Order: sequence, then C-alpha cells, then structure tokens
Amino acid sequence: MFHFENLTLVQFKNYASATFSLNERIIGICGNNGVGKTNLLDALHYLCFTKSYFTRDTSNIRQGNQGFRIEGHVNLFDEKEKVACILRETGKKEFLLKDEPYTRFSKHIGRYPCVMIAPDDIQLIIGIPDERRKFIDTILSQLSSEYLQNLIIYTKILQQRNSCLRSITETNNRDFSLLDVLDEQLMIPGSYIFEKRKIFMVGFLPLAKQLYEDIARQPENISLFYNSELMDLSYPELLKMNRAKDLVAMRTTGGVHRDDLELNFNNLPFKQVASQGQRKSLLFALKLAEMEILKNEKKFTPVLMLDDVFEKLDEERIGNLLERVCLLNDGQVFITDTNAIRLEEKLIKLKRPYQMINLNND
Amino acid sequence: MQFSSALLENAVNEFARLPGIGKKTALRLVLHLLKQETADVQHFGEIISKMRSEIKFCHRCANVADGDICSICANSMRKQEVICVVENIRDVIAIESTQQFNGTYHVLGGVISPLDGIGPDQLKIESLINRVQKDQVQEIIFALSPTIQGDTTIFYIQKKIQPHTIRITTISRGIAFGGELEYADEMTLARSLQNRLPVESYVANSH
Repeated sequence: MFHFENLTLVQFKNYASATFSLNERIIGICGNNGVGKTNLLDALHYLCFTKSYFTRDTSNIRQGNQGFRIEGHVNLFDEKEKVACILRETGKKEFLLKDEPYTRFSKHIGRYPCVMIAPDDIQLIIGIPDERRKFIDTILSQLSSEYLQNLIIYTKILQQRNSCLRSITETNNRDFSLLDVLDEQLMIPGSYIFEKRKIFMVGFLPLAKQLYEDIARQPENISLFYNSELMDLSYPELLKMNRAKDLVAMRTTGGVHRDDLELNFNNLPFKQVASQGQRKSLLFALKLAEMEILKNEKKFTPVLMLDDVFEKLDEERIGNLLERVCLLNDGQVFITDTNAIRLEEKLIKLKRPYQMINLNND
Repeated sequence: MQFSSALLENAVNEFARLPGIGKKTALRLVLHLLKQETADVQHFGEIISKMRSEIKFCHRCANVADGDICSICANSMRKQEVICVVENIRDVIAIESTQQFNGTYHVLGGVISPLDGIGPDQLKIESLINRVQKDQVQEIIFALSPTIQGDTTIFYIQKKIQPHTIRITTISRGIAFGGELEYADEMTLARSLQNRLPVESYVANSH
C-alpha cells in the first residue's frame, strides 16, 4: 500500500552521504547517542511533509557543508515514485515528485500520511495550546488540502489584521473601515476552520479516550474536549466583542488561533495531576488515534515512526505498544533504540519479518 | 571588474542598478553604446532624461501622460462612465493590449497591505471615490491580482462607494485559456465551478 523502499541522504545532519534500503515492514534502527537515528526518521518526515519535524531547514545541513539532499523511493499502491527534497546552497528549497518540482509545497501534504512519536512530543500533553492546535491541524491538513489552504489564508489575513491594529493604535487614527474589511475576510476561513475542527473532534476525542483506556488497561476518569470561544459566539460577535481589547493589545485576541484541546484527569488539568507514565500513555493514545483517523479516511495505513519511545515504560507496556503498532497495524513502522540487544529481542518476539539497521561503526 | 576608465566604470555601475541587469550585462550595454556615433548616444541619453523630466501622471486616473490628462481619459470615443481599477501602469498596458476594453482606467499604485505599511491613504483611493461622486460613473471593474491583499482592496473600495448605486464587478478568475484542467490547482478549479458560465454566453464570447 504505502511504504518507503529506500532513502538516500547527502549532507543531511550527520550524514555526508548514505543510502539505506528499507526492505521490511518493520524496521528497527539502533546505535549509540548521536549516530543519527532520529535524523534518519526526520529525513523520512521531510519526504512526507516537505519539512523537518524538529527544526528549521538550515539547521539540518551537515556542519561545514552547504545545502542538502534527501531522496527516497516510495511504493504507493504498487506504483513506485521517486521523491526528493533539496536545500540549495542559496537556502532555496526544492521539492520534487517523480522529478517534477512542486510550485506549492502545501500540495504535497497528505500524499504520504505519516505519524511520528518522539520524546519531546510530551509537550503535546504538558505544553502550551499551540502544540495541540498544531497537532490537530497536522491531521486535518493531511486529510483535506482545502483545510490547509484555509489555514494558510487565515494566517495571512491574521497577520494583516494585526498590522492594521498596530497602525490604528500607533497613529491614533480612529478610522476602522479597513479593519471592518479585514474582519469580514478573516471570518470566512476562520468559520471554516472552526466547523471542520468541531466535526473532527466528534470522532477523534472518543477514539483517543478509548485508546488511552486500552493502554492504561484500567478505567481512569479522563476527559478530552475541544475548547473554542466560537462554541458560544459567532465569529462576527467574537471579533466585535474583542475589538477594544484587540486595539490595546495590537493583535487579534480571539479566534481559531486561540483554540485548545483540553485534557483533564479527574476534572483537573491532566498536566497537573497525571504521572509521567500516564502522560506518556495519553500521548500514545492521541498519536494512535491520529493513525486510526488517517487510515480510515485515506483508506491506507500511514507510516509510523517511533523515536526512542521505550524510555520510562515498563516491559509490559512496551510489549503492548509493540503489539499494537506492529501486529494490529499493517503499515510500515520505524522504531529507534540505543540498545540494539533490547530492540532485537522485542522484534524477535513479534514473530514477523523485520530489518535491523545498526548505525554504529563497528 | 577592473576598468581603465572611470567614465566607463561609472556608466557600467549606473546600468547595473537597473532591475534585472547584472554587472556583465551592464558592461555589454555600455560597450555597445561606445561603438555608436556620439550623436546617437547623445540622442539616446536625451530621450531617457526627457522621459523622466517631462512625463506627467494623469490628474484623473494616475496613468502616465504627456499632458495633465492621459490620452485614454482624453479620448472622447472611450466610455468615461466605465472605470477599470488596476494596481499599476503595467496592468494598463496589459489590458490595453487585449483591445477588448473601451472604458477608462484608475491606477491605484499598489494594493492595501498593512504588513508592508501600505494603507488606503498611500493609494489613489480617494481620487477614485471623487471620480465616482463627480462623474457619471456607471460601472467599476476591478482588475487586481487574485490575492488576499487584492481582495482586501476590492472590499475596502466597494464599501466606500456602496452608497452610490453603480455596478461593481471584478474580472473573472478561473482556468487559464489554453490550460489543461488536470494542471489547474484545486482552488482555481473549485472557484471556476462555483462561478461557472452559461454555455450560450461562453460560446458567444469565444468567437
């Protein structure tokens, strides 16, 4: 259905030049700290999302070099496709599918659905609302290019509106006619985004809750809900109500860019009361729910990348997790670990063909 | 680049300041001028400086003109009651080349973009509204780029002239002529579907 067959890296992160053939559905990647396990996953992320999961493009160039190239061959419904991402010496990025450059990178999003789980993702649970919005937007953008377009347009109008607020406040010019126009422009993509998120949450939240209970293997009183001021107010009402506040703050204080996905445990904020293990379990639940939704909508399974997920998990939970992602799931899975022996033991237990990539030099 | 003459070097540097001209192209142009008769180059220089010092901008539409009023506004054969609103002079030239428009223009000098520090006051919007009020304008046609800033500009002006009962239209957006459907992006295609045309008028227009 959908899997990577190989990956070639040139001047990317710690790789001067390297090619990996990816022969199996389950792929373990091991090696000591700093050998480039995460970089390998991030290169695959580039090919799916045209950008890094972690950082800016220029931070991914190998030290002392200029520019990088990532190339892969993808098997999509038995059709082979070549995909490449090039960062030129000038800092210009090119993205090519079947040797054809994209004029708009956003068009590529959703072609290769993929889900990454990395240690820093715990910010999704304990971090600021931006993290959770970005998570939801990433899913919806993979499902609908129209959503992504609306999000891009919304952001552009928002920037114009904020500049307009600034210039009104700074020049003390009480003419609001341009602001009125920008308000009306902002409402169109804003309302669209709100409606799509609202519909999405109806399916997503119960699924994530169910997956959490499966992982925890005991009933726990968690609740997840979509929090948006637009639940109670229409867009025109919200902007009207906030206008005075917006003018003082010189930015737009209300709208879909302030939405949040609220996570509660016994009716208290999850991050305040839940343990490390519970946080991690909820993170997996959210990500696995993302997998499910993408799979159901796309009618094929996304690629899953697990970066260093075994830390802080007991043996039983590791076993459960691997069973779920490797046996109950039929897509390609990449798993990194520093401990080659531990990883190999786990993969043998699954009794499925697997490939080990050992990045240590010995 | 090493020059044996400061005169040559100055000329090359001036040419290199023009858009799209690098040092090498500048040198080629200068060396070409050097081969010409002195009088010809004199003529060339005069034309350029005369163009800059004597050109005027039309008091009505802000298009380039030789007098106070441009040749389009002054032409009594053109429909003064129809105004096509454009961003810059280049757009006037592009629309004139179609030979399909028989009204007058109004050159805004840009589009509203607070991010770039361009508000309504930096553009020729007030003079457009004055024209609508004073002249017997029947229709305003917006021919602006299909961008967010273009839309902001259209909506802003539309609100300002709404009290006057005139027709306000915008050039259509959609599939490029001679373009293939499969290469059109989804947004363009979606918009073309929304604003589809009755076939009678489509066929009538294409002949």
